[in-house]
Amino acid sequence: MPMQHTAKSFDEELKRLQSLVARMGGLAEHQLADAIQAVADRDTERATATVRGDQKVDDLEREVDDLVVHIMALRQPVAVDLRTILSALKISADLERIADYAANVAKRAIALNQVAPCRPVHAIPRMGQVVKEMIKDVLDAYVNGDVPKAVRVWNRDEELDEMYSSLFRELLTYMMEDARNITASTHLLFIAKNIERIGDHATNISETIHFLVEGHPLREARPKHDETSFAVIKPANAGGGQ
Amino acid sequence: MTVLSPARPTDALPPLARPVVPTDRTQVSVTAPTTKVEIRDVRFYYKKFEALKGISLPLYDRRVTAFIGPSGCGKSTLLRVLNRIYTLYPEQRATGEVVIDGRNILSPDYDVNLLRAKVGMVFQKPTPFPMSIYDNIAFGIRLYEKLAPAELDMRVEEALQRAALWNEVKDKLRQNGLGLSGGQQQRLCIARAIALKPEILLLDEPASALDPISTSKIEELIHELRSDYCITIVTHNMQQAARTADYTAFMYLGELIEYDETAKIFTKPGKKQTEDYVTGRFG
Amino acid sequence: MTLYQRRQALNRLVLCLALAATATGLFWLGTILWTLLTHGVSALTADLFTKMTPPPGSQGGLLNAIYGSVIMTAIATAVGTPVGILAGTYLAEYSRGSRLAEVIRFVNDILLSAPSIIIGLFVYEVVVLRFGHFSGWAGAAALAIIVIPVVVRTTEDMLRLVPDSLREAAAALGAPKWHSIVQISYRAALQGLLTGVMLAVARISGETAPLLFTALNNQFWSTDLNGPMANLPVVIFQFALSPYVDWQALAWGGALLITAVILTLNIAARVVASWSSVKK
Repeated sequence: MPMQHTAKSFDEELKRLQSLVARMGGLAEHQLADAIQAVADRDTERATATVRGDQKVDDLEREVDDLVVHIMALRQPVAVDLRTILSALKISADLERIADYAANVAKRAIALNQVAPCRPVHAIPRMGQVVKEMIKDVLDAYVNGDVPKAVRVWNRDEELDEMYSSLFRELLTYMMEDARNITASTHLLFIAKNIERIGDHATNISETIHFLVEGHPLREARPKHDETSFAVIKPANAGGGQ
Repeated sequence: MTVLSPARPTDALPPLARPVVPTDRTQVSVTAPTTKVEIRDVRFYYKKFEALKGISLPLYDRRVTAFIGPSGCGKSTLLRVLNRIYTLYPEQRATGEVVIDGRNILSPDYDVNLLRAKVGMVFQKPTPFPMSIYDNIAFGIRLYEKLAPAELDMRVEEALQRAALWNEVKDKLRQNGLGLSGGQQQRLCIARAIALKPEILLLDEPASALDPISTSKIEELIHELRSDYCITIVTHNMQQAARTADYTAFMYLGELIEYDETAKIFTKPGKKQTEDYVTGRFG
Repeated sequence: MTLYQRRQALNRLVLCLALAATATGLFWLGTILWTLLTHGVSALTADLFTKMTPPPGSQGGLLNAIYGSVIMTAIATAVGTPVGILAGTYLAEYSRGSRLAEVIRFVNDILLSAPSIIIGLFVYEVVVLRFGHFSGWAGAAALAIIVIPVVVRTTEDMLRLVPDSLREAAAALGAPKWHSIVQISYRAALQGLLTGVMLAVARISGETAPLLFTALNNQFWSTDLNGPMANLPVVIFQFALSPYVDWQALAWGGALLITAVILTLNIAARVVASWSSVKK
């Protein structure tokens, strides 16, 4: 903010809000990186630590909620101040969900490690890399008020969705090859789905950043390329199947 | 030029002729507003000092327009141009045009007393006349009309009803107006103004001398009166402008900085200066 | 002594001096009133109000003098009050800050404190010598000239106390200036204006010097204003300096009468003024 509020305590409250959101962002990034790593390295210890670490993010979200209510009641913010605290509220909710999904991925990693490694698992680190970059970029965009960067993240979700769709088909095929693969594949499916949801939340954050800076929402509908809702793979041997 | 057409910033002339269709769904009436008062390049001088530096904007009928800005920005001065009350003081003068219903009210051949029957004003400090409540209201009516006592009674009652004061004073109409509380006195002044059936109401910080409950009552009254008058209110209290006005004009040092729908001014104002003022960043 | 103790001591000293000064003033006032009472009460009989001024040695009263004073005071007030109020209105309402108003105010203040004998002399020159004889009209004229500056001053002061916000409120309703002045300003300042008039009347009740040159005196009953007119102050002057005891007694009676009237008027003025402050 170039100009200070006449009431300096208001500026301090806003700074505290920003730092809370920044901490949440850092933690969520960290959780996500650890979860992906745990899947790639079959590292159960790391996964367990990640699951436990989710509590911290939840606590921070509660703090953000309280602070937002406090500021709204006592300061009656308007214009950019109002948008700032509303954005902080929404972004913290998105970050909390992102951390939740990361913890879910870690839980599934623990389960995965109890069965033999399966071939499609190599797609996970790739998806993980994309989503990690998306999260990092969107958090940078928030701190710097960088709308073009946020919009790039918003568009990148397309890539993530496509990766998820192709992994979905691959896993269906893998399951049909051998029934013993079903456990691992199912867990992988859920892991991929969680990562895809993390990407969606990253786009939510982009939209919020756009609203914060421009004052009106990002109007276009987000391009959704998640075709898994209608993906059907028929088995190689023809036979009556639904 | 400080003209800002509310809908689009730069457009072909005449910018003032474009009324804004409100997109705010919370507005009572969704019809496009008509311009009641057109202020054109008004300048105001206290002796040599230029207090208003070329103000131009439209005021819409059946809407509330609020003027906000720091002390000394000229908002009260502008209000006092609209009913030429400044002519009481010889060292004050105004140039430019203010067009109401097609006629420039600042021209010398527009009768000033007829103007004031059309444009009512309520001041910051409640000023009941030193006479009974009944006479306070009747004073203005008697200036223009000769009514039978029964008719006059009706008009007085009507004005007091409209100002939400009738129930509180109907048993003491003959008592001195100075015996009322501050909030009641201010409503009395409002009743006095609307008894003349004006078309435009000017309110100069009407609630700044009142406690919060009286202030709420006055704001509620303004909201009800909105459907019949073109109301202009000057206020130091931004939240009051946000609560009561459809359009808000931000002034600074005698210039009009921004004029737009209230919702826009308080969510995403166009000018940085406006944003700094409404968020309390003003130095 | 500490600073605080010195301040306390000084405070007590000044308080004593103030009380002493007050006591001194009150003492002399009390003495005057007491003297008047003791000397004049014997003359306060029904005769005082029913009989004429007598030749020395016989019984009489002050009827003609009372009548003369009352008539001349009434005429002076009737003439001076409208002029004074209108002039005061002009100064307070119409000519704020103009040079002419400043000049008028200045001249008014001079007139206010002009020695009344000068005024008497002036009226003598202009009226008495012109018409060739003393008259009640001349007396009334001299008194009127004393009333006017007092009323102008009090009217202007009282009207200035009416807040401008009331005038603006009336103007905002479209009231023409004169209507606003009569209905609003006068009503708001009414008590003050009345007080001013009462004070003026109290002032002229006791003026002697102007009447010496103008109305002179008249031993007999006369209602003719074109001739010399009896009046209390001159009668007191004449009778008090005389060697006759009954005349002196009448003089004391007249003095007591005048004092009572002036006291009553002043007290009434204060009471009326306090009504307006209670109302607000």
